[in-house]
Amino acid sequence: MRPLTRMGLFASAMALMPMMATSDTADGEALNTMSWPEIEELARGGEVNWFLWGGSDNINQYVTEYVGGILKDEYDITLNRVGLSDTVEAVNIVLGEKESGVLDNGSVDMIWINGENFRTMKQGDLAYCGYTDVLPNNALVDWNNPAIANDFGVPVEGCEVPWSKAQFAFAYDTARMDNPPRSIAELIDWVKANPGRFTYPAPPDFNGSVFVRHVFYYAAGGVDNLLGDFDQAKYDEVAAKTWDILNDLEPYLWREGATYPASISAMEQLYANSEVDLTFNYEPAGVGLNIENGTFPPTTQGYGLTDGTIGNTNYTIIPFNSPNKAAALVLQNVLLSGEAQHQKALPTVWGAAPAIEVSRTSNDVQAKFNAIEKHPNVVPAEELAKVALPELQASWISAIEKGWLENVGQ
Amino acid sequence: MGKEPLGIRSFRVLTGAVLITWLILPLVPLAIWSFAKGWFYPDILPRNWSMRAWEYAMSDTAGVLDSLWLTIWISLVATILSILVGVPAGRALGMYKFRGKEIVELMILAPTIVPGIAVVLGIHSIFISMGLTNSVEGVILVHLIPTLPYMVLVMAGVFANYDPAFEAQARSLGASPLKTFWYITLPAIRPGIIVGGLFAFLVSWSQYILTLLIGGGRVETLPLLLFNFATSGRNDITGAIGMIYILPGIIILLLTAKHLSGRSGAVGGFGQI
Repeated sequence: MRPLTRMGLFASAMALMPMMATSDTADGEALNTMSWPEIEELARGGEVNWFLWGGSDNINQYVTEYVGGILKDEYDITLNRVGLSDTVEAVNIVLGEKESGVLDNGSVDMIWINGENFRTMKQGDLAYCGYTDVLPNNALVDWNNPAIANDFGVPVEGCEVPWSKAQFAFAYDTARMDNPPRSIAELIDWVKANPGRFTYPAPPDFNGSVFVRHVFYYAAGGVDNLLGDFDQAKYDEVAAKTWDILNDLEPYLWREGATYPASISAMEQLYANSEVDLTFNYEPAGVGLNIENGTFPPTTQGYGLTDGTIGNTNYTIIPFNSPNKAAALVLQNVLLSGEAQHQKALPTVWGAAPAIEVSRTSNDVQAKFNAIEKHPNVVPAEELAKVALPELQASWISAIEKGWLENVGQ
Repeated sequence: MGKEPLGIRSFRVLTGAVLITWLILPLVPLAIWSFAKGWFYPDILPRNWSMRAWEYAMSDTAGVLDSLWLTIWISLVATILSILVGVPAGRALGMYKFRGKEIVELMILAPTIVPGIAVVLGIHSIFISMGLTNSVEGVILVHLIPTLPYMVLVMAGVFANYDPAFEAQARSLGASPLKTFWYITLPAIRPGIIVGGLFAFLVSWSQYILTLLIGGGRVETLPLLLFNFATSGRNDITGAIGMIYILPGIIILLLTAKHLSGRSGAVGGFGQI
C-alpha cells in the first residue's frame, strides 16, 4: 500500500471515529450482544434524557437528586429529567421523529410508561427491545408473574422494564364519615343515599377509566370471563348492564352528573374542598404524599374493596431512536436495584410498591424493606394485594372508554 | 386639560377599580396558596403555613430559575426578531396598495385564527427535516409564528396614520436614509414598536405546545414547568412558580404603561389598514 493511500485511509478512519462513537450508544442490536462492563464503559461520561410525568415534587426530587446523584457519582452520567404533563406528549415526539426519518438521533432516551402509551410504542415499532437480559438487576424481576410480563394485557416481550407496582384504592375523610362503602354494590347504594357526594373523572382519564372498569367487572359478575382477547358478544352483554348502572347513578352524582371532572386532580380538589366525600387513585401511596404536602386533609384514610381492586405495573421504556441507549440501560439497572427500589418505597420519598421481588435482594436490602414504617393513612400494599384484580387487554379498555363516551358521557 | 364632568370622572374611577380587581384579585389566592400547607373549604385562610413550595421552586431540582432566564432570553430574542420583520412588513401593509394585499394580510393573520394545536404536528415534522428541533434557536423561530401577526398589525396601524412627507423633507435637507430613519421615522413609530413588542414578548412568554414539541421537551420554559404542577393539582407549587412567572410581564407593563393609554398613537389605527 502506498504511503499516501495509507494516510488517506487513516484520515478517513479518524474522520469516522466520532460518528462511530455516537452510533455505538444508539445501536441497540450491538448493545444486546455486549457484556455489562462494556456497556457501562460506553455509557460513562454521557447523558440520558428521561421523560416522565413531572407533577409531583417528591417524585421529581427522587429522580433528580437520588437517582441522578447515583448516575453522576458512579458513572459520570448526566441525568436530564424532562417533566411532562401527560406521557402521550413524549410518545408523540418519538412518533413524529420516526415519521420524519430521525432513526438514531432522537431526543427521548427513556419514558415512564404503561398501558395505552406502551401499546402505541410497541405496535408502532417505536421501542428498543430485547435487552432485558443484559441488565444485571433484571435477575430481581419475576418475569413469570403475568402482572409483570403483561402491560395492560400487552406482552412486554423485552421492550420495557418494570419500575413500580400500583393498585387502585379509594380514600375517605374519617372526619366526615365513619363507614365508607367497601364494594361496588355498596358504593352504588351509598351514592343513591347520598346524592351529590360522589363523582368520577370522565374516561379516557386514566383513573376515571379504571373506575368504570371496576363497575364493568361488577356487572360481569367477575373478571374471569373477560380475560383474553376482545370478545364483541361478551362486551355487548356486559357493556349494556354497565351503562344501565352508570346512567342510573348519574342523577345522584356531583352536579346531577351534568358534568364530570376532567382529570383525577380536579376530582381530588373536589374531595379536598368537601364537594364530594370519596376519592380514589391508581397509586394508593398518593394519599400519604397528598396529606404531607397539604393537598388532602390529614384525616384522609385509604382503603381497598372487599371484592378487589385492579392492579397494574408501570415501566420504563427506551425509544428505538434514542442516541444514548447505553446510558439509558445503566439508568434502568440503577432503578431496578434493591437500594433504589427501597428508597422509592419510603413513605417520605414516594411510597411506591417495588416492581422487583424483594426476596431476591441481598439480606441487607431485605432488612431495610422490612424496617419501612408505612404511612398510617395509606392502605398497605399487602392488604390490597390480597384481593387484586387483573387489568384487561388494551382492546377491551379502549372499547369500554369509547362506549362510556357514547352511552354515559354524551 | 380642562375639567371633566363628574359623571365621566366617576365612570373612569369605576372602570379603573374594576380593572384592578380583575387583574389583581385572581393573584391573591395564588400568592396565599404558595405559602399554604393545605387550604380547605370553608377556611378563609390556610391553617398551616409553609415555605416548602418556595423552597422547592428555588431548588436546583425544580430548575425554575434556570428556566426563568431561558424564557426571558427566548422571549426577548423573539421580540427583537419580530420587530425587525414587523416594522418593514407593517410599513408595506399600512402605506402601500399592491396586488394581493388582502391575501398577504390574511396569511399574516392566519396564525391568530387557526389554533396552534391543529398545525403544530405539521410544523414539527417540517422543523425536524430542517434540523431545527430540540434547540433554543428552533423554539425562538417557531415563536415568531404567533408573535408576528401582533407586531405586523400594530405596525400597519401605525404606518396607516404616518405621513411619509416628513421623511421626504429630511432627505431633501440632506439627511442620509439611516439618519432619516433614526431622527424622523423611529420617533414617530416608537410607541407602536413598544406596544407591538410588548404583545410579541407576552405571546412568546406564554407559548406551551409549540415550545414542547419543537423544543422536544429539552427547552424547558416556565410555562412547561408551571403546567406540570397546574395539571397535577399542586396549588402550592403552582402558586409559587406562578408568582415568578407573572413577574416579567408586570415589570414590562409598568415600564411601558404610558404608551398603552388610549391617548398614544400606537393603538389608534387598527381599523384603517
